[in-house]
Amino acid sequence: MTAPSGPAPAGAPAVRCRSLGVSFGAVRALHDVSLELAPGRIHALVGQNGAGKTTLAKVLGGLQVPDTGDFHIAGQEIPAGDVRAAKAAGLAMVHQHFSLPPSFTVAEALELTAARPGGRAVYRRGDLQQRWQDDVAEIGGTAALSTRIRDLPVEARQSLEIVRALATEARLLLLDEPTALLTPVAIDALFERLRRLRDSGVTILVVLHKLREVAAVADTVSVLRDGELVLGPAEMSEVSQGRLSDAIVGPAGHADSAVGVRTAAHESQETLLELAGTSSGESAFEPGLTAVDLRVEAGEIVGIAGVEGNGQRSLVSVIAGLTSVTEGTVRIGGDEVTAAAPARRRLRGLRLVPFDRNTEGVSQSAPLWLNQSALRLLGRHRGRSPLISLRQYKRQASEAMDLWRVRYDTATQPAESLSGGNVQRLILSRELADGVEVLVAAQPTRGLDFAATEFVRRSLRGLREAGAGVLLVSSDLDELFELSDRLLVIYGGRIVAEFDGPYDRRAVGDAMTGAVR
Amino acid sequence: MTSGLRRAVWTVVLVVASFLITALILRVSGYSVGDVFSGIIQGAITATGASTSSIRWAIPLLLIALGVVIGFRAGFFNIGGQGQFYMGACSALAISLGWREGPAGLVILCGTLAAMLAGVLWSLFPGWLRVRFGTDEVLTTLMMSFIGALVLQYLTAGPMRNPQGTGQTAASERIPEAFRLTGGSGVSLTVLLLVAGVTVLVWLVLERTRFGLTMTLVGRNATMARWQGINVRRVGLGAFALSGALAGLAGAVELYGPAARLVTGFSPEVGFTAVVVALVGLLNVWGTVVAAIFFGGLQAAILFLPIVTDLPPPALVLLHGMVAFLVTIKFRAVRRRRAAQTEAPAG
Repeated sequence: MTAPSGPAPAGAPAVRCRSLGVSFGAVRALHDVSLELAPGRIHALVGQNGAGKTTLAKVLGGLQVPDTGDFHIAGQEIPAGDVRAAKAAGLAMVHQHFSLPPSFTVAEALELTAARPGGRAVYRRGDLQQRWQDDVAEIGGTAALSTRIRDLPVEARQSLEIVRALATEARLLLLDEPTALLTPVAIDALFERLRRLRDSGVTILVVLHKLREVAAVADTVSVLRDGELVLGPAEMSEVSQGRLSDAIVGPAGHADSAVGVRTAAHESQETLLELAGTSSGESAFEPGLTAVDLRVEAGEIVGIAGVEGNGQRSLVSVIAGLTSVTEGTVRIGGDEVTAAAPARRRLRGLRLVPFDRNTEGVSQSAPLWLNQSALRLLGRHRGRSPLISLRQYKRQASEAMDLWRVRYDTATQPAESLSGGNVQRLILSRELADGVEVLVAAQPTRGLDFAATEFVRRSLRGLREAGAGVLLVSSDLDELFELSDRLLVIYGGRIVAEFDGPYDRRAVGDAMTGAVR
Repeated sequence: MTSGLRRAVWTVVLVVASFLITALILRVSGYSVGDVFSGIIQGAITATGASTSSIRWAIPLLLIALGVVIGFRAGFFNIGGQGQFYMGACSALAISLGWREGPAGLVILCGTLAAMLAGVLWSLFPGWLRVRFGTDEVLTTLMMSFIGALVLQYLTAGPMRNPQGTGQTAASERIPEAFRLTGGSGVSLTVLLLVAGVTVLVWLVLERTRFGLTMTLVGRNATMARWQGINVRRVGLGAFALSGALAGLAGAVELYGPAARLVTGFSPEVGFTAVVVALVGLLNVWGTVVAAIFFGGLQAAILFLPIVTDLPPPALVLLHGMVAFLVTIKFRAVRRRRAAQTEAPAG
């Protein structure tokens, strides 16, 4: 599809919107947002979870009909909710959630959904893969073009969404949190590609979470808070970091202390989690573990650093009991659980924050209270009657969610109605409710806003103070350096290095890339 | 409007639409729509014995449909109720004919338990294939149904055939009258109490036990359930087993109630109609009760209509089919949307 008219009139903004407003019931997602974006630049849109960033992106893409206001793309007025008109005006969108068909191979999915010019009706498989090879390689994607989408890890799927949008020769590219699931290397590659697109005249609007990323790539920045545009678009060179974070967080956003956690009493130096010579088979997209030795003691946070895809998932999965061990042992709280079912490990005090909070951490269509109560369903039923009191379950769930300051209307609403930070609070409220011995936290702050990230980090520190053990798996080195008492580096399924603080970024980085053995 | 209420209204609209489309087709084919629909009312409600007949058909529909509801709660779609129902009836028959001299209460109890066990076995095999290899249970339970129908045919034409039988279709001997829980009408207080008790029990299991909540979690998102330490396979097998047990129980109730003997291909649609009953009942226990009574009435009407109109008997199966068609489309649409939301890498 090509734009019906020629280039936009000189000086016409790439995007102009006036008084856009969107409400979902009583919640005001966007309020009176007026915004002009100059063509040929990279514009960053930032704000906390629930500030209205995704809603604004959806309105521009024609996926959400605004209650008030109108908008123009490249000088043309776009009728509200008209996806085709937005596309015809040159807009392409990368969604936060995945839209590629799971049963297709990478090449098939791209060909089907990207609407790239010059396509043929009939392909030989090899030709089709050839056609997309460069695009996938350019973004730093490692997925084989014959892999099925459903077999790819989230990181790889996200990068394919970007490949797809970039392939359509758009004049205006909208990216909704494209970096949330990418590795640092892939983020750099993405930014480089965005800069080149900008230089070729494409206007880019990118929703970002981290100020570091904003500073790295954006020409201008706009800030949304509670659905209102509170800053911008302002030139990056004219905005200080401090002013930016004040605009994002707002006057009342700073105080939010961690929640006290009840743990079993421990002598310090007691080993709560131990892997000894543990190996596992490899999974579809990751190496398995090879002779991993690892100990987490009471009152310490042990960090696992590594480039994603080097066995982190295998490690967490082996500890959780979802992947079986081929050699070596796993002990939790001093008991050997190498062959024990996942339920027994949970009952022994293992708590988990899984990698993908929306599919592994919560059940999106299930009500909040059921998500919160999941751990109560394990183990032997106590009580005289086999029947349970739903009222009691709901009350306990509400109390826990209130304690962890999950923002919700009723305990019966589905988990999918919560923002990312609130989902993570919900997960913590479940995992840290009672009897924690050791918490394995996988990417616990990925994709979260500033306030939620701080909250999670404080909670991990609180857990350490309460005498529990924490194994923190993260791809954010700053986070690892800030929190870890010891830092292990995983590479190719092996622990290749161990560091004590203060950490040397260079040395850790070398170990992560396998330069040190 | 709550989402539950909205879905209920939608379902009623679809059922009414099915009636209208059927009326249109009948009209075009030259039948009197008024006669047919007054015949349906008579056959389901007003004619002598009509409401009893409606209840008689509602009973097996309800029992099998409750099994479908349980399976769906855990994320499985057991549409093989027909075969499980047949296998249940055959097992109860074998016990009852093999132990004619036994005390009635004990024989009925053993026969019923055997019927439930047979239903469990008949559904556990596809269930095991599903949780072990991921085989699509919609296909396997359906195929097992055909096998069940053939086993019934073999038994009634072979080992269990009544040698004195003179009918055109092969049938077994009758069980002793002492073993019957109802007369030929198929409805008695005992059976109604039994079915009511089972329904309440199913509701309690689904909504008020930890197993029920666990099934809900597994059915909504098995990946999340696994991370929570839930043994997803065991829960799935449990759901399949309960589902099959209910269909088997329906077979026993059929035998000890209205049937008294088994005829090749008896009640040929009940297992499949039960799937529609569960869907129209919005996969909710009380909704399923209402839907079972409705479809029971329709079944009674289908049998009654040829008496008062010149409509050929299969014509009303059209109405059945239309309801099934419309409701299933809507259901699949909802299910696909949900599946898309929880699509996750295999872990």
